[in-house]
Amino acid sequence: MKKLDIFIVGVGGQGVLTIGDIIAMAMGEKNYITSFYPTKGMAQRGGFVKAQLRIGEGLGPNIPLKGADVIISMERSESLKAAPYIHDKTKFIIYGHTWFPTGVMLGKDNYPAKEAVVDALAGAGAQVVYLDEEDLPLYEGAPMAENIYLLGGVVATGALEEFVSIADIAEAIANKWPKGAERNLASFYAGVEAAKKLLA
Amino acid sequence: MVKKIVSGNDAVGLGALRAGVKVVSGYPGTPSSEVIIGLLKRKDLSGTYVEWSVNEKVALEVAAGAAWAGKRSLVTMKMSGLNVAFDALASIAYSGCRGGMVIYVCDDPGVSAGMPEQDVRGFAQMADMPMLEPATVQESYDMTILAFELSEKIGGPVFVRSVTNVSQTHSQLEYEERTLPSDADIILEKDINKYTKAGAAICMEQHRAVIARLAEAEAYLDGQYASFKLGKKGGLGIITAGVAGVYLDEALALLSDYGIDRDELTILNTVATIPAPVKQIKEVVANCSQILVLEELEPYLERTVLQTAYQMGKILPIFGKLDGTYSRINCYDAFTVVRGLEKALNLRLPEDFYQAANCTDLAAPRPITTCAGCPHRGTYLAINQAIRKAGYKKDEVMVTGDIGCTILGMNPPFYSIWTEVSMGTSIPLAQGFVKAGLKTPVIATIGDSTFFHGGMPGLINAIQHNIPVTVIIMDNGWTAMTGMQVNPNTAQEFQGEDWKQLDLAKIIPALGIEQFYQVDPYQLTEMTDILTDCMKKPGVKVILARRECAIQTNRRKIKYGTMKLDQNKCTNCKACISVTGCPALSIVDGNIEIDQNLCNGCGLCTYSCKFSALTREDC
Repeated sequence: MKKLDIFIVGVGGQGVLTIGDIIAMAMGEKNYITSFYPTKGMAQRGGFVKAQLRIGEGLGPNIPLKGADVIISMERSESLKAAPYIHDKTKFIIYGHTWFPTGVMLGKDNYPAKEAVVDALAGAGAQVVYLDEEDLPLYEGAPMAENIYLLGGVVATGALEEFVSIADIAEAIANKWPKGAERNLASFYAGVEAAKKLLA
Repeated sequence: MVKKIVSGNDAVGLGALRAGVKVVSGYPGTPSSEVIIGLLKRKDLSGTYVEWSVNEKVALEVAAGAAWAGKRSLVTMKMSGLNVAFDALASIAYSGCRGGMVIYVCDDPGVSAGMPEQDVRGFAQMADMPMLEPATVQESYDMTILAFELSEKIGGPVFVRSVTNVSQTHSQLEYEERTLPSDADIILEKDINKYTKAGAAICMEQHRAVIARLAEAEAYLDGQYASFKLGKKGGLGIITAGVAGVYLDEALALLSDYGIDRDELTILNTVATIPAPVKQIKEVVANCSQILVLEELEPYLERTVLQTAYQMGKILPIFGKLDGTYSRINCYDAFTVVRGLEKALNLRLPEDFYQAANCTDLAAPRPITTCAGCPHRGTYLAINQAIRKAGYKKDEVMVTGDIGCTILGMNPPFYSIWTEVSMGTSIPLAQGFVKAGLKTPVIATIGDSTFFHGGMPGLINAIQHNIPVTVIIMDNGWTAMTGMQVNPNTAQEFQGEDWKQLDLAKIIPALGIEQFYQVDPYQLTEMTDILTDCMKKPGVKVILARRECAIQTNRRKIKYGTMKLDQNKCTNCKACISVTGCPALSIVDGNIEIDQNLCNGCGLCTYSCKFSALTREDC
């Protein structure tokens, strides 16, 4: 039985859970059994948010340590909290948004540099793809949807290809926002291209 | 048959609708709230009544009335809510019911939402009530329907007990469309032997009856629902409760190199710890040479296994919490099960088997903050300023806290609130400090929904006994922390069609409080002055700090003004950030910047700026 474990982290308000939602929808369309467990206690209040998406039969809600095949992060520092789930084939895709907590802004706490994060996660065995937030393109003059851009990056690494194609995810995006399909699909494909360049 | 991805909580709602539920009540509490949230979103509820009640005890009593009238009813709550409702429930359990009555309650192993990491199976044991324990989303649906059937079969209320991991998980659910509630006549049964507690004979007869109902439930559930397979004679037996059992196959996969033959294992997945499937447990004990018990939190099932083995006269190793194999803390995953198998089967796993990377030291700490524009920010700032103004140090003035968003003032940068106990505790707790002899002023803080839920008796008690305390009711108009439910104080326009708002501004003075002040927490100077004054006065003072939750006003696109920062005046002292902790303020390229998307123009940051660099312009 094929299985795929996806661990998603970020900060409340970033649209972290939507990424899992869309992948789950696409997986559901293909009749894969999905278990999507978001932890959303502080989702609206700038707190740490995580979600666990498990595809396959007979799986409980929690991914075991060293069990994530794919890790998706929307915030540089929060990426580090997913490290215990890395195994030697984990694909780790980060959108490097930096959301400074108050303690960091006041100079009381440190905030990790990009290199430190990438080195730590790669050191734990992950293949890291890091999309810089400075590279986020504009769509009709406004920044693209960061979470959908990142989702494009995830798909470009081939992390989901045994289960769903790029077209399947695009279809799920279009179904989720029938009115905003064009804008969101532009973000999605921009993410695909950005990650492909990094991987080339 | 419909197939759809839904949450465990939604599955419970769908199960209740399928069972023809007539009345649904509850009080919000993570991780249980989505049952009623989901039902209230539906457009096809005709014939079924759904409400958020003022607290869990009231919700349970509403549901009991409906069940005593012969209709099916569901009541939902988190584990802390059952602590509140149990007084009524114990009595109702002893009386029994006519229509099916299901109490849905969620525990929170691993504590995703705060409050004690308790195990409500203890309540089932104390009330002699059956408690079904779904392990998956599908079981959440199936067992809700089964619970209604079981309740009517035995004539008493039945629990469905879930946990965060199951109630919040979204998975494919196969379900049938709703059944309309029965249109059979209402039952009006006048029977003091059943429905009152008038005298020892009645009470003891009811005690006999409730014990008999649990025995009947055990017989009804017998073998039908537990999944049970006998393995090799003299091998390992595994007995599981709830979601803990779901991880067994994953654990076996992780141990695939260690030659464990699943066919040789005796496995019993129970559907209930109370009543436990004693017949099958006996078979496991008889067949096996050792037993591993998998259950989150307290060792209720394990004790039953131990007791059963003792009664059978068989001494065998039982691995669980009582022998120290497992902790009673936290939720399970596949590795938890691996640890048990390692010990029970005497496997020697390599050192690094459980080792995983840990980079948390590198990560920036991220304490929970209040939202941009949150009116509670004004209250916390007023408390901190008033304490100084009244001539005290911060560590000299006790500020008790309560449940909900109002507690966020315990965190940086405010550090205003000292305590968090249970719904409504803030006021009596403050009274206790006063009567213990504390000479400095005491302040109690509580939200509007929490006040109605459990705060009113405490306030009335303080008024009656003339306690020198200042109570701040932080009224944001919503039950906010759990996702914006309507409460009695919510503005009339957001109430149900024929519901009625109870306005705190009218209720508090009507309690006989002479020192009542209504303030806007965005008006920091005014609120600070009033609070400073209150701290010096005798008797009960109540400050109603009223301003609607910023999440809700943001959703309606309300802005109170536009904040401007004069970079020429700004000295980059960062006081605005260190005092208010507002997420809309940040430092970009060394300068303070206002995120106009987050900022709602509340203006509280202007009070923190000594240089008048921050100003507010009306929209």
